[in-house]
Amino acid sequence: MGAMSYVSHLVPLALALAVPAVMVSGWLSDAEARLAVEEPRQSKAITATVAEEGYCTADLKRIVRRIAGACGLLGEQGRGCRPADATKVVSLQGEEFNALFLPLQDRVRIIQYDMGKSELDEGALRAVEEAWADRGGASFFFVVSRASPEGSTDKNRELSEARAKAVLDHLMKRFNDPDIERQVGLLWLGEEFAQLDDKFCDWKRSRTGEKCDANEINRSAFIAWIDCAI
Amino acid sequence: MFLWERACRPTSETMHDPGSQLPLPLKDPPQGPGDVADYQVDAPKQRTPTGSHEVPARSGGRIWPWLVVVAALLGCVYSALSTHSFIMRLDGQTHAVACAILPGDADQSTGCVTALLSPYSSVFRTSMWGGIPISLPSFGVFAFIAAFAAWVGLKKDRMRVDTGFLLLATLLPVGASAFFAYISATRLGEFCSTCVGIYIASGLGFIFALIAHIRTQRTPDGVGRWGRWFLWFFEGAAIVGTLVLLYIMLAPSDRESVARGCGELVKREDEAKILLKKRDSTEAVAGAAKVPALVVVDPLCPSCKGLDERLLASGLGARLDIDLLLFPLDSKCNWMVKSSPHPGACLVSEAMLCAPESAHRVLEYAYANQERLLELGKTNESALKADLEQKFPDVKGCVGSAAAKAKVNKSLRFAVANAMPVMTPQLFVAGSRICDEDTDLGLEFTLTRMLDRSSPVQ
Repeated sequence: MGAMSYVSHLVPLALALAVPAVMVSGWLSDAEARLAVEEPRQSKAITATVAEEGYCTADLKRIVRRIAGACGLLGEQGRGCRPADATKVVSLQGEEFNALFLPLQDRVRIIQYDMGKSELDEGALRAVEEAWADRGGASFFFVVSRASPEGSTDKNRELSEARAKAVLDHLMKRFNDPDIERQVGLLWLGEEFAQLDDKFCDWKRSRTGEKCDANEINRSAFIAWIDCAI
Repeated sequence: MFLWERACRPTSETMHDPGSQLPLPLKDPPQGPGDVADYQVDAPKQRTPTGSHEVPARSGGRIWPWLVVVAALLGCVYSALSTHSFIMRLDGQTHAVACAILPGDADQSTGCVTALLSPYSSVFRTSMWGGIPISLPSFGVFAFIAAFAAWVGLKKDRMRVDTGFLLLATLLPVGASAFFAYISATRLGEFCSTCVGIYIASGLGFIFALIAHIRTQRTPDGVGRWGRWFLWFFEGAAIVGTLVLLYIMLAPSDRESVARGCGELVKREDEAKILLKKRDSTEAVAGAAKVPALVVVDPLCPSCKGLDERLLASGLGARLDIDLLLFPLDSKCNWMVKSSPHPGACLVSEAMLCAPESAHRVLEYAYANQERLLELGKTNESALKADLEQKFPDVKGCVGSAAAKAKVNKSLRFAVANAMPVMTPQLFVAGSRICDEDTDLGLEFTLTRMLDRSSPVQ
């Protein structure tokens, strides 16, 4: 092959090298420039956190925090608040206290008991387990138990305490979860504070379909996870 | 009998008598090694107007090298598109991948992404971030074939030594295409459109080169053939080698993410016993100590399946002692997502946590049947539950129970306790999180470095 012929051979080859080289260099240069200025991809992802629902107003969080602390949830000073404690801690009237829970209607289950009893029936056991399993991102599980006004105040105080503890005992027995100790708060109100009116009969009850009146609905434990980052 | 003659555009180099200024008609074909290139052999000869010589005619045979040029340019386009898509990802971001037979067409098939992220898309991945894309040498080879074919097409005195080399050169992309088509069919399970474009261009180039070669008449080409072929092979290799060298020199190398990682596990204790052991990671590798790792997965997440496949294909998974943390992106159980990108993932996660011994089998089943399970999760959760219980009888009675839901919740809380990003997959090696931008193309490079600086589990 002569020199001229070889030159004519080299010209297309030179193009075959130059064109891809220019293209690839340009792309690499662009990639390097983008790498230098763009934020890392992971910064676009949100961070995993506990739930904070819309109903978590500052007032609700303040009350929850007070109850949680005073009733032994956040500290180690024992578990549960009795009616006298609750009144002081909450600093609210009974109706105002109940109103705090209204936005939680979908979350709350009302565990019902026979008169003068604290044992959980089959429906109650199932409801307690469902409520516990329906935790989502919530941080605190509240058991607020009551008694209907029949009988003495002292007897009703003891009865509501036994009802709250029955829920806790079943959770511990069924789930054997160390978090229960840290996350379940008990508040028993007897007949003295924040009695429920019969509108709560429309909420999710362990005895849905059965007769319900103001007395029936107060022979109960009001249980719910609260989706607030406290 | 043919009258052998120089090309119709005589030049001094076509003559072996440098002093002669006139074309010399030859009665016999030359026998020397250097002579063969000087003779036109494929076109039928015609009488010149003077009637004194036969000269090569422009015939249909001359079109075949040009068709090789067209096919090679087509190969260049597809290779360039693939290379461009690969290089775009070097910035660590997610970009659209060119994926259509007709360039510019809006084919959104996943085949190209699968191919791009597969370990077969590049080589030397542990030595350089992303490795060298195989489409780059392909680009160079097609460019060389196009240039060489154009030269053959322009050449008046085309010979079999030229077309023979062209034919051989086109065999390279044909062989590579056959290999990668086999890989696509057997390993990836899908074909990417641009890859198919390359296969077609390779096949056409070979066919046209074969015809061009057949249409070029046989000549005695002697020992010169091998010398020329070696030279041309060297030219082609030089083009490809230069492109690769250029790539190595210019590819972004300053990556802070590889050195610093993207966070640490702050709470490693698995008090709730919700971490699942990845079975293949427990199998001993002779002479290899393993490094503890945590992979955050959603069983119905295609990217998690992809990461699992990449880890397996890289061989680096064998150096890890992997725990799995389930993080279903399904609002049925995960309060951190407002919709369900992967409906049904909560149920599948429950199944895995219900029977930890069978968890790896459930995960393999979920990965293998993701589309169907996602559809079931979206339209009929009861059917999904029945499907899982039928396939894995040991989870019967557990899936959907309060205890199973509580375990999934604990898994999610493990992520909360470690302030993990709400996404899957995530890979932690020795407690350090590999940045997301390093989990696809850069996985092998990053993981190799993290493994090298981590203490193995004895």
